[in-house]
Amino acid sequence: MPILELTTLTKHFGGVHAVDELDLAVEEGEIFGLIGPNGSGKSTTVNLICGVVSVTAGRVAFEGRDITGSAPHRVLAAGVARTFQNIRLFGHLTVWQNLWVAQNSVEDRRSENFAKRWFFGSGATRDAVDQQLEFAGLAGKRNELAANLAFGEQRRLELARALATKPRLLLLDEPAAGMNLEEVHALDGRLRALQQAGMTIVLVEHVMELVMGVTDRIAVLNFGRKIAEGLPAAIQEDPAVQQAYLGGGVETAHA
Amino acid sequence: MDWLDFFQSITDGLLFGSIYALIGIGFTLIFGVMHKINLAYGAASIAGAYVSIAVAAYVPLPALVTFLIAAIASGGIAFLIYLANFRFIPLASPLATLMATVGMLILIDEIVVHATDGMPQPYPALFADIYIEWGDFGLRGDLIFIFVLSLIAMVVLMFMLYRTRLGIATRAVAQQPVAAQLAGISLDRTNALTFVITGLLGGLAGAMIGASVGVLSPLLVVPITVKGLIVCVIGGLGSIPGAIIAGLAVGAFENFFLAFRGVTERDMYVMLLLFVFLVFRPGGIFSRSVARD
Repeated sequence: MPILELTTLTKHFGGVHAVDELDLAVEEGEIFGLIGPNGSGKSTTVNLICGVVSVTAGRVAFEGRDITGSAPHRVLAAGVARTFQNIRLFGHLTVWQNLWVAQNSVEDRRSENFAKRWFFGSGATRDAVDQQLEFAGLAGKRNELAANLAFGEQRRLELARALATKPRLLLLDEPAAGMNLEEVHALDGRLRALQQAGMTIVLVEHVMELVMGVTDRIAVLNFGRKIAEGLPAAIQEDPAVQQAYLGGGVETAHA
Repeated sequence: MDWLDFFQSITDGLLFGSIYALIGIGFTLIFGVMHKINLAYGAASIAGAYVSIAVAAYVPLPALVTFLIAAIASGGIAFLIYLANFRFIPLASPLATLMATVGMLILIDEIVVHATDGMPQPYPALFADIYIEWGDFGLRGDLIFIFVLSLIAMVVLMFMLYRTRLGIATRAVAQQPVAAQLAGISLDRTNALTFVITGLLGGLAGAMIGASVGVLSPLLVVPITVKGLIVCVIGGLGSIPGAIIAGLAVGAFENFFLAFRGVTERDMYVMLLLFVFLVFRPGGIFSRSVARD
């Protein structure tokens, strides 16, 4: 059974078919790439999965459970976390607080009683936040406001915040946008480490070095429809995909 | 005018202004979290105070307990306002919730008029018999009590918002509602909680207005609603420190004009102050909202 299954998922914004009868199955443990030209419906697909945008028609199933139309915090509680294309941190909270408010996994909720949870948190969750900061390489910045971090640090913090909710499926919406090559390589390593730890990842990305290198399978969207799906090597050679990217090879689509 | 009268009027106004600060915080907190205005907030505050004297009519209560009942009742009313006017009304429409709260303001007012036959009701004062004097300058005990109680309420609120997880989660929602939900925070519960907390503050303010004026009347609703909104604008929408300073300032300002120009002219100057701010500092005294990015 796929961990994430989209069945004829459709979203209309007025007359625009942003996502059009999309079928997709992501298997547990894989890194699944979702690519396509600008406006092809990748971000909308992510928004539909996590309940930020209402579904026009079709179905989203996570681990066999129907989560279509669930409120975002319920999708999260089910085990799906995400990051945003345009970074959305809590800018006026400190780095530490950004992670602390995200300790909302089912285990975290069970481990703390009401008063502990909503006042100062248990020692265990506070320690967990410290460890997550360490892992994200942000331990030295714990008391900085998130808005004052450098761009790359903000990306790392956003990923750390998504991981803090202990998801089983991680949706990454253009995590490499604006990164230099060195940072892209670091991200590549981080994603592989997460995969090793058992995480399933859906990667929406324009940066082809990252997508072609790290993903197990790729689906290509154009005008809200899936035009190709398969192994990265096959996708690169696919004529329909090359046509979608303005007639050139996939490599020309970096911008 | 002599300097002593000047200081006396400003000081009394500052102390009473702490009530305006509480009302202003209520408006500004809901605006900060939801980007909505709850016009029924002042009415809910006064209604909470009415509930407390209704309870006190059956069971004799110390005045301080009456105040607490007012706060709790108003918190409950605020929750009902959230359910009736926000929970099931599309938030994307800017006018829908605003008009709903106008209706709620009038509804609460009508209920109060109906229940009391429009008669003002006496409200218990605290420390009204105390008067601290230094020569011709003096401080009213009830005003000092109001000021201290407001200050405690504000300190508790600030502590909650900046030090506890509940408050930090609330601020996370104010700053990034979508991301907050995807960090596992329920928007609905946070909004409801914000209403209850503002209601608690408002009920306390309503009780203190009753205590310092000596009576509760439905006629109090519109002035405190308008002044709460003025405080909210002068302090900068969404800014709690701004609302505190603006509340004290508006209290002092209006009491100064009360002392030197009389009660019929007082509110005219307060309105002029609002226009001056909207023209020269539309963003409020700090000109930067602390709530939203």
